[in-house]
Amino acid sequence: MTELLAPAGDLERLKIALIYGADAVYIGGKDYSLRANAKNFSIDEIKDAVNFAHNLKKRIYVTVNIVFHEEDLKGLKAYLEKLKEIDVDAVIISDIVAVSLAKEIGLDIILSTQASTLNYMAIKFWQNFGIKRFVLGREATREDIIRIKKETNADIECFIHGAMCTSISGKCVLSNYCTNRDSNRGGCAQICRWVFTTPDKPDFTFMSKDLNMVDYIEDMINIGVNSFKIEGRMRSVYYIATVISCYRKIIDGINKQTLSEKDKIYYKKVLDRVANRDTIAQFYQKFPGVNESYFQDRIELSNQDFLGLVLDYNPDKKQILLEQRNFFKKGDVVEFIGPNMETFTYTINTIINEDNEEIDVARHPQMHVFLPIEKQVEKYAMMRIKLFDK
Amino acid sequence: MKNNILITINKLEDIKKLKELGINNYVLPIHGYCVGIPNTFLISLIPNNSYIYINRILDNDSIDKLKEDLKSNQDKIKGIIFDDLGVLEIVKDMKMEKILYLSHFNTNEESIAIYLNYVDSCVVSTDITKNELERIVNKFPNKLTIFTLGYVSSMYSRRLLLDNYTKFHHLPYQDTLHIDNTNHKFLVYENEFGTIFYHEPIFNGLELLSFPAKYFFINSSFLNLDDIIDMLNGKKNFGDTGFLYQATIFKLKGDQND
Repeated sequence: MTELLAPAGDLERLKIALIYGADAVYIGGKDYSLRANAKNFSIDEIKDAVNFAHNLKKRIYVTVNIVFHEEDLKGLKAYLEKLKEIDVDAVIISDIVAVSLAKEIGLDIILSTQASTLNYMAIKFWQNFGIKRFVLGREATREDIIRIKKETNADIECFIHGAMCTSISGKCVLSNYCTNRDSNRGGCAQICRWVFTTPDKPDFTFMSKDLNMVDYIEDMINIGVNSFKIEGRMRSVYYIATVISCYRKIIDGINKQTLSEKDKIYYKKVLDRVANRDTIAQFYQKFPGVNESYFQDRIELSNQDFLGLVLDYNPDKKQILLEQRNFFKKGDVVEFIGPNMETFTYTINTIINEDNEEIDVARHPQMHVFLPIEKQVEKYAMMRIKLFDK
Repeated sequence: MKNNILITINKLEDIKKLKELGINNYVLPIHGYCVGIPNTFLISLIPNNSYIYINRILDNDSIDKLKEDLKSNQDKIKGIIFDDLGVLEIVKDMKMEKILYLSHFNTNEESIAIYLNYVDSCVVSTDITKNELERIVNKFPNKLTIFTLGYVSSMYSRRLLLDNYTKFHHLPYQDTLHIDNTNHKFLVYENEFGTIFYHEPIFNGLELLSFPAKYFFINSSFLNLDDIIDMLNGKKNFGDTGFLYQATIFKLKGDQND
């Protein structure tokens, strides 16, 4: 079975990811994770996450993938023991000391992309430590994956969507030099998005476009990739819902042999809309060339499509309770997406506030409003600007 | 001290000069298996008693080819310095000294202790402070290798960043570029296998020569051998001390959402 693996920076995102179709979610604890400045999960929250996921027969992986300095090792063993006790499904690790401890404790281990693994011999080295699943370097080509599968029979997890490092993961300390923030301990300041000057020549930039593998998912299933991983533990609930929902439908469509070219074009348009950079397939078929990077400073627009999160549906009154996320008004044409429903279009004719007064606009972030809707809309559905017709 | 210097060379003639100085551990970056190094050597042409340097992260085809190349040239190789753990799998039964240089790993003694079960020495990361380094090296006296002098890789990309840059701007191709952002300077070098950023100025850790290390590693790429010798003899002194006195941070106060 092919796994769809989502990122989550907090419990709300985690629930959204699982409800919208992820088979598993990877999260970071308060320590030892490469997103040191994300909100991240306390042990109690990890426990809640595990319970939530296991009730849905889904899985939770916890990143413990920093490169450890001596001082960071304090408490690591106890932390891993706690993760074992609360029954996380695996830990994602790159440093051999953590691999060794996790193995001793009996945790399943996923080798992080941070370990820069691109050949079958390196996989064999790590298999000696009982590791069964590997996140390959994001530079792995289709041929690399096929050969690795053939030679090692390892479970392979590949990134399929999201931002890319310009560097091979684990091989960059530009952040350390430029900002004193240690990229390999979660402090990356994304220096690959900076602009550098060079004498007598145009400014030098080396920022990659993002990853999007919609066109290759079927091929990746056929060559035996076991887990499709989405990047972005610091992304919004809307981003996670949209991306997971698209890939869920793509994978299911492939498995049921119902996915059409028209469907793929539609999902690509939706995914491009929610991204804030252009997307490409990166290394899968060819090395990224001149058209796969950005060469000038650029403005990244934040996406304003997400209008509200459905908190509840009252079947008697036929109305939803919505938490506002971006400005909307009467007359707007919007659409609803949800985990178990077809996307549908809706024109806003009435907005009622919590004092039961009709209003013309919903302008305040996170204000609660009621909208009358005949069709049943489930909790966690999202209202967004009308994007495209399928 | 000079007996335990491991130094990369830029041309074969350097070996003679090094031997005259009592430095016998010369390291040859091997053509086809290195990135970020302008002067590399065909493995078939290396002299006897060489240390060889393999710093690429290798794909499957390259690791297969390396295995054959090492088998054919094993008798000339005194030792191998490498980054990719796949290399360890192919040399584990070969009679040569094995030195693991995992560029930004090996920052704690426990990890190093595990790797020392598989290799003869590990290069300790340059991303740690002098105090951290001292503690680690003292834990394994005469076992570890300290990066001591030369350009340190601060980023390794498999992308051809200079090729793309020159194509985009319609400039003549060049494999080397000096870049700068608010006084953070880097030397960028590219070959067919990728692009390396080196922090400028070079790392000067000559003060570490008193530590009980097995080897002191010098990367002579982009440097003049006479300058290096002058530095070893105390006649010249340039570069900076990297993170030896500058501990990095990773959690930002007041920037967390909890």
